[in-house]
Amino acid sequence: MGAAAGSPAQQYNYEVIKKFAIMTLVWGVVGMAAGVYIAAELAWPHLNFGIPYIEFGRLRPVHTNLVIFGFGGSALFATSYYVVQRTCQTRLFSDGLASFTFWGWQAAMVLAPISYMLGHTKSREYAEMEWPLVLLVEVTWVAYLLVFVGTIMKRKQPHIYVSNWFYLAFILAVALLWTFNNLTIPVSLFHMKSYSLFSGVQDAMLQWWYGHNAVGFFLTAAFLGMMYYFVPKQAGRPIYSYRLSIVHFWALSFLYMWAGGHHLHWTALPDWTSTLAATFSIMLLLPSWGGMINGIMTLSGAWDKLRTDPVMRFLIVALSFYGMATFEGPMMALKNVNALSHYTNWTIGHVHSGTLGWVSMITFGSFYHLIPKLWNRKLYSVKLVTVHFWLATIGVLLYIIAMWISGITQGLMWRAFDAYGNLQYSFVESVAAIHPFMVMRWVGGVFFLTGTLLMVYNCYMTVRAGAPETEPAGGNLQPAGANA
Amino acid sequence: MTDQVQSQAPQTTGHVWDGDLQEYNNPLPAWWVWAFYATVVFALIYWVLYPAWPLGKGFTKGMDTITYVNNLGQTKTVPWNTRALLMKEMNKAAAEQKPYFEKVMATPYAQIVHDPELSNFVLSAGRSLFLNNCAACHQSGGQGLHGLSANLTDDYWLYGGTFAKIQQTITYGRHGYMPPFRDVLSGTQIAQLANYVVSLSGQPADQTAAKAGDVLFHSQTAACYYCHGVNAKGRSVIGSANLTAPVSWIWTAYRSSNTPAENVAAVAHTIEGGVYKGVMPTWKDRLTPVQIKVLTAYVHELGGGQ
Repeated sequence: MGAAAGSPAQQYNYEVIKKFAIMTLVWGVVGMAAGVYIAAELAWPHLNFGIPYIEFGRLRPVHTNLVIFGFGGSALFATSYYVVQRTCQTRLFSDGLASFTFWGWQAAMVLAPISYMLGHTKSREYAEMEWPLVLLVEVTWVAYLLVFVGTIMKRKQPHIYVSNWFYLAFILAVALLWTFNNLTIPVSLFHMKSYSLFSGVQDAMLQWWYGHNAVGFFLTAAFLGMMYYFVPKQAGRPIYSYRLSIVHFWALSFLYMWAGGHHLHWTALPDWTSTLAATFSIMLLLPSWGGMINGIMTLSGAWDKLRTDPVMRFLIVALSFYGMATFEGPMMALKNVNALSHYTNWTIGHVHSGTLGWVSMITFGSFYHLIPKLWNRKLYSVKLVTVHFWLATIGVLLYIIAMWISGITQGLMWRAFDAYGNLQYSFVESVAAIHPFMVMRWVGGVFFLTGTLLMVYNCYMTVRAGAPETEPAGGNLQPAGANA
Repeated sequence: MTDQVQSQAPQTTGHVWDGDLQEYNNPLPAWWVWAFYATVVFALIYWVLYPAWPLGKGFTKGMDTITYVNNLGQTKTVPWNTRALLMKEMNKAAAEQKPYFEKVMATPYAQIVHDPELSNFVLSAGRSLFLNNCAACHQSGGQGLHGLSANLTDDYWLYGGTFAKIQQTITYGRHGYMPPFRDVLSGTQIAQLANYVVSLSGQPADQTAAKAGDVLFHSQTAACYYCHGVNAKGRSVIGSANLTAPVSWIWTAYRSSNTPAENVAAVAHTIEGGVYKGVMPTWKDRLTPVQIKVLTAYVHELGGGQ
């Protein structure tokens, strides 16, 4: 495999990856800061200040879009471009198109939050963008697909590495989801407002088919692709089981598509649809765990790295949270559990154990591996990585524990009857009861954001001030991996 | 290359990417496979018991059934569905409430509040009804909100605080109205009236203006006494405010912490513009007679009942 000519930086397109990596950190900080602020608004509503642009309803999609699409999306662009080039041993199919995906994606990430704050929204969760932005994302996404598939087609490796299956499944599924959930008719060519082609429960079902698979393919499959490259790389060990990776890949891809209806239990959704969603969610548990097993077992025989390598710790703890969240999800998808958990903070806690615990942690771990490689520098401070690790872990734990307690409190209070068969509590009493936990959640968010800021500092110092890892740039660098 | 690996050790697939990325070819963990099969069996059993698969124009109904009583009092047994399940749970709560509701309906108010068992029930059911229907305006403790709703815990009532009056208020709603006087009276006259009204509660006011206001109040020019009464204590028949008790006012920004001038200005503002927002909706179409009776007793017992 020594066909590489020159340094990796010359052989591969690192420029677009660097740009996406930087924007990952930027959107990470901005998006998480927005999250911390709206958490504070929930604990102390005065922080809305009566200013419409920053009130909770408008800032929430700013937070969710910037962390999912801005931070998560940019991280996926960066790592998928990195992984596909290095495992296919070829440069990106088109530098121009790749650059277009960068500018298209970043334009959407700048314009979408502004439009939300000005009050333009489709009111579809995680698909709030109005039609002009939808089209911008759509075009960018098609370019992404072309770049990715084109690169795989001109690979110099006979086999396609497992990460690339996951990335490709993610790109294809999101293209499908984005297109169908955004079938809306604009009021006019010069008006932001548009209305869905569907109505009633069909419309709700379409939205949650999208919403759940956004979790499934954007936040799960794609980040599993990231995991399948960076965990074995950082551990220096082979993936535990090729067979498991194939089986759980197809099982996950097939089963996920059915599960969206569990977001609509106890609504106008027909009971049979609800049942299928619940049972497919249960059958999704083990396929989801396949990725966790493969990641964690890869470390089998090198467990000492958990003590010595904080980057490895990020990756493994991410997989642990992934395993926990993918167990919790199917349980919450059961109708009787859902009767307690739905519309409560438990749901918010579940999402965050996935997004903070899994998505963010796996991204942090991968980036501590990626950033030094991209800039050919030694990581500025391993100690700061350790501090970041603990801040992030404590932050997630504070967050999800607060959400579990407050969510179950809400669920129990809302359906408590007294001895006479009367409702025991009013809604506002449940709000008062969970206030301490809303504060606790905010504290968790502050911990997490602080950790991210430390990471930004660490990465900045690595790029600006860190010592070159091997020879100075321009020297005759060894091909990737030859020194591993 | 796999030939050289010992048979005991896991073997890789033989593919290598990016210098050192390899994959062992370990078999699927047996527990993982069996656990997956178990979830499939769970799903199969679930599908047999409950509605699951679309079939032609309908769907498989499942074997489980639910028996409930519908709104017409008919007992129904139907294939399991979430709607019937809700009805069944509501039946259970209704059955617990039923003997108490019947007793409340059959008992006069005065006895309800003195019967320990019934008054406990009224406190529980009334609280729930109040918090879910009334608290949005009257606040969770019934203390009201200035500029929105009446305080139900004090001794002042616009329309009367007897059981009968409270029941009438809840059943049919109220529409408080005072005409605007800006086109009828001059600015000077309005200022005189405002000073008089402020002086009624013993607050500092311009005595000369207040005296002129007194005359005006009882004259045919302003005719305030028509609604507010000769002694300005209000008339519960039409819900006019007791002007000697500014603590009970909803629509006028009178505050004990204000300067006298601010309070005079606040009263003048109301005289100029009138009151037109004092609408309480009717509840007879939303609550049952017994629910209204429970609420009446509950509101009466909030502290101000007459």
